Amino acid sequence: MIQLRRALGGPVGAILLAFFLAACAMLVAGVSPLDGFSALFVGSLGGRQQIAETLVQTTALLFPALGISLAFRAGLFNIGAEGQLLIGALACGAVGAHFAAPTPLAIFVLLACGFVGGGIWGGIAGWLRAQFNANEIISTLMLNFVAISLATYLVSGPLKSPAAVGAETAPLPAASWLPLLIPDTRLSIGLIIAILAAFVLRWLFTRTVFGYELRASGEAPDAARRNGVNMPRTTLLALTLSGAIAGLGGATIVTGVLHRFNTQLSPGYGYTAIAVALVGDLNPLWVCLAAFGFGILEAGGLAMQALADVPKDAIHVIEGLIILVLAARRYIATRAEAAPI
Amino acid sequence: MSSAAGIAIATLVTLTLVKSTPIIYAALGGVISERAGIVNIGLEGMMAGGAFTAVVFSGITGSPIAGLLAGIAAGALLGFVLGFAATVFKVDQIVAGTGINLVALGGAAYALTLLYNQPGASPQVNALGPNYWILVALAFVCALALHAVLYFTPWGLRVRACGENPRAVHDAGLHPLRLRLYAVILSGALAGLGGAFLSIGEVNIYSDGMTAGRGFIALAAVIFGRWTPWGATGAAVFFGFFEALQYVLQGRIGWLPSDAMQAVPYIAALVAIAGLVGKVRAPAADGIPY
Amino acid sequence: MSAPQPALRLRGIGRSFPGVRAVDDVDLDLFAGEIHALVGENGAGKSTLANIAFGALRADEGTVEAAGTVGLVHQHFQLVGRLSVWQNVLLGREPRRGWRIDARQARERVSGLAQQNGLEIEPDAYVDELPVGVQQRVELLRELEREPAVLLLDEPTAALAPAEIDSFFKTITALAQRGTAIMIVTHKLQEVIAYSKRVSVMRHGRITGRFETAATSIDEIARAMVGGDLPTVAQRAAVTHTPCFRMENVTAGSGGTAIRGISLEVAAGEIVGIAGVEGNGQTTLTDAVAGMIPHTGTVTFASAQVRTGVIPQDRHREGLVLGWSIVENAILGRQRSRGIRRGVMIDRQAAREDAQRIVRSLDVRAASLDAPVKTLSGGNQQKIVVGRALLGDPQFVLAYQPTRGIDVGAAALVQSRLIEARNAGAAVLLISFELDEVLALADRVLVMYRGAIAGSFSGAQIDRARIGRLMAGSAA
Repeated sequence: MIQLRRALGGPVGAILLAFFLAACAMLVAGVSPLDGFSALFVGSLGGRQQIAETLVQTTALLFPALGISLAFRAGLFNIGAEGQLLIGALACGAVGAHFAAPTPLAIFVLLACGFVGGGIWGGIAGWLRAQFNANEIISTLMLNFVAISLATYLVSGPLKSPAAVGAETAPLPAASWLPLLIPDTRLSIGLIIAILAAFVLRWLFTRTVFGYELRASGEAPDAARRNGVNMPRTTLLALTLSGAIAGLGGATIVTGVLHRFNTQLSPGYGYTAIAVALVGDLNPLWVCLAAFGFGILEAGGLAMQALADVPKDAIHVIEGLIILVLAARRYIATRAEAAPI
Repeated sequence: MSSAAGIAIATLVTLTLVKSTPIIYAALGGVISERAGIVNIGLEGMMAGGAFTAVVFSGITGSPIAGLLAGIAAGALLGFVLGFAATVFKVDQIVAGTGINLVALGGAAYALTLLYNQPGASPQVNALGPNYWILVALAFVCALALHAVLYFTPWGLRVRACGENPRAVHDAGLHPLRLRLYAVILSGALAGLGGAFLSIGEVNIYSDGMTAGRGFIALAAVIFGRWTPWGATGAAVFFGFFEALQYVLQGRIGWLPSDAMQAVPYIAALVAIAGLVGKVRAPAADGIPY
Repeated sequence: MSAPQPALRLRGIGRSFPGVRAVDDVDLDLFAGEIHALVGENGAGKSTLANIAFGALRADEGTVEAAGTVGLVHQHFQLVGRLSVWQNVLLGREPRRGWRIDARQARERVSGLAQQNGLEIEPDAYVDELPVGVQQRVELLRELEREPAVLLLDEPTAALAPAEIDSFFKTITALAQRGTAIMIVTHKLQEVIAYSKRVSVMRHGRITGRFETAATSIDEIARAMVGGDLPTVAQRAAVTHTPCFRMENVTAGSGGTAIRGISLEVAAGEIVGIAGVEGNGQTTLTDAVAGMIPHTGTVTFASAQVRTGVIPQDRHREGLVLGWSIVENAILGRQRSRGIRRGVMIDRQAAREDAQRIVRSLDVRAASLDAPVKTLSGGNQQKIVVGRALLGDPQFVLAYQPTRGIDVGAAALVQSRLIEARNAGAAVLLISFELDEVLALADRVLVMYRGAIAGSFSGAQIDRARIGRLMAGSAA
């Protein structure tokens, strides 16, 4: 109940403000907000296909947002979800192009590849922070760019599918595809997996020793250190797990939506997910709701552009404004323990 | 020494200076902001804002100088937003900086479509042309000026005190929040200037994502340079060198994949911030709202 | 002949913070040339009043009239460590030469001012490299530079050794003689009797007594301070001699707060109190004992299975997660222990029971076990930290400033529990900056000075005067 009131004060207020500003953005574009918003909502919720697409976007956002929430709760500002997602997707696509197995096994292996790939990418930043006190804001962002370079190089060269025109891996065999949730749409059971992940994360935070120590290290690092929490290990595990969840999301996109890997698979999910995590107050279940809200924006944004002539980049401006407004909430409790920045 | 090698080295040196320049400006902005006590994660957005606004105003007025000034103003405005949020509302500066980045980058993309009806890149505008060298030299002049201001002037002393103990500044009868705000505005202006150099100095357009993380590399330069103007400048040149190196080597060594080479400056930044084991200390009140 | 005008006049001052009325309808006059003591217990409102008089805080009601500049020397110095002495003293009033600061003139001004007031100072030294007593001189100089008509000093001798206290009061008395109105906020009644002309006593935000120092006594002032007799602390029991904890030749840390060659022993059933002025290595010592920093030498317990409890110095930063509930804080430090951990999960029922036990044992006043700890008063927060440390009957207790900044009632309860733990056979190592507390609780007293044990006293040998001299670095 306390959580609800807190949420209403912050995230909901931010969303309302964002809608107001979105209306302004529409006016600037010479479009009546009524037209703009109706295009947005019709385009995202107006029919079976639209809802399915909205849920596809929700899924794509939910994974990295959960990963970011975990890192933030540990006091680590992970802005590298985009790269972690990409590497996870790359690993999944690279293996998936050559891996043939019956469906349950194939899916499990490929999703695991995504999990591991993203985990490694997050783990690099975690190791740099744990071992060298290198600030994770810079390192995770640098790794984003390295990921793009690496993925572009691999997919244009060694991993390029011989049959493809553009830079992408060979398509996955049908047995490796995630089953669809709603037939004739792009929505796969990836959504279910994401929601399950949210519940697992919630259990982790509230019931386990690891979650207890992780939250302590984020909210009161000095007290945590003096009370048995191994800080370097917690940092490493937190960033690794955070990256792994994002990587799992990337793998979900590969196995569930595109069925191959190319470098365009994320239109900035990893960055939008930061806003999603903050709006969800870093609480896994609220993050699900937030992801749905942003999913509406992402899916409806294209329709808004097509039907109402509002550039869909307005959505990204709105996301930035939401983050700016939510900065007042002071999520990361103490900066005193941050690595030098 | 063969003339080919000579040319390559000369190219490397000039290219290093050119590639370093935007990073130097942004890094100097980072130094002044953090010494005052405000962590400026929004350097990237301030650069992008400066780059975009410079192109727009140069396009409208036909004068690259107008574009330059507009770019500086845009950066300063974004700096003001961050500073205001940090001093008046006492927000989490890291989150606010991230928000500014998204607003600026998204806003530029949004305005790109609105103004020019072509997403991705603006049309060409009047740029500085061969005069861009003035901005390169100016970057080093700014480093010198910032050093002098920070260490020899009363304002610089007070700003440094703000970053260590704003309460002491308050007790001295001064206004630490105001000082911090001015510092962040200056920080944004410098980053905006760096961004303007990117768009109308080096080239003559704005394209989506042209800042490519330089605002964050600048932050790495601030840390690597121990929060001092000359240190940050040196670090910025270090990173610029790697960016230049990647360009120079790209055509020449066949087996080095150009896509992978683009990662070199970022890896350099990673190694740089990893190479400082516990020895560095940011200003004591950095990032802590007063 | 009319009465002289006061240099500082406070009328009807009131100030509230969320949940507490810190200052309530206070009138106070301060005259030029007098040393006026403002006394009261922790939390009485003295610091708040001083800050209002200085102008750092605004009063909700009432007026402040001063006949000139008001200066304030804080209890915890507000200096800029990374800057030099002259930069700190002249911040905001820097002498200029064109666009630059005239550093030479600055140095001369600071040296001159220091000499004028009989203070020894090195203008170019960096403040964070100076010992605490010298840092106070810098803060004092900074205020004196503004030639204040009124000078307020908040607990000025808290961090000083007895010899430094003498020279401090020499400086202050000379200042008063030259016409400055001086008010000292303190709880050290001996100093009040020795140096002040008038005393005002605060309790719960109100003035509860005004005295001419010459006409009153420590007892009378103390009674006005606490409104009655102090709560009694539990009685002592006999000491056993089984050693429980031993440090041998421990060296750790660096710089001014390092410790060198510390050897001491604590037996089961005794309280060993380490007395000393803050800043002589106590924090380094506790960090070494707690395993937070590397050290040479050995720190050993009687057996590997010894149950330990730690009461840290700073409950907000080191002891509690303020946003968490009492239940979650109750198991902090024990989240991996057999009673609380069940596989990968936490036994919430056991945690809840522990919280209940702590609340009962230490009489914690809270709305519910699930209330966030930050909503509790400082005294209740400290009780949780202490209760948690003493839960499970530890055989060794490390208590560092266990009653810091809490009200008298809570402090007495905490001290009782420590004595009870000792009576039950625990070895207690107590480190406190309040000599009174050490003398009240300890069976043996060690004195720490500049990172080493300067002396050891037990039983009848415990002598306040000799301990005080050792604390200052003089021979006993």
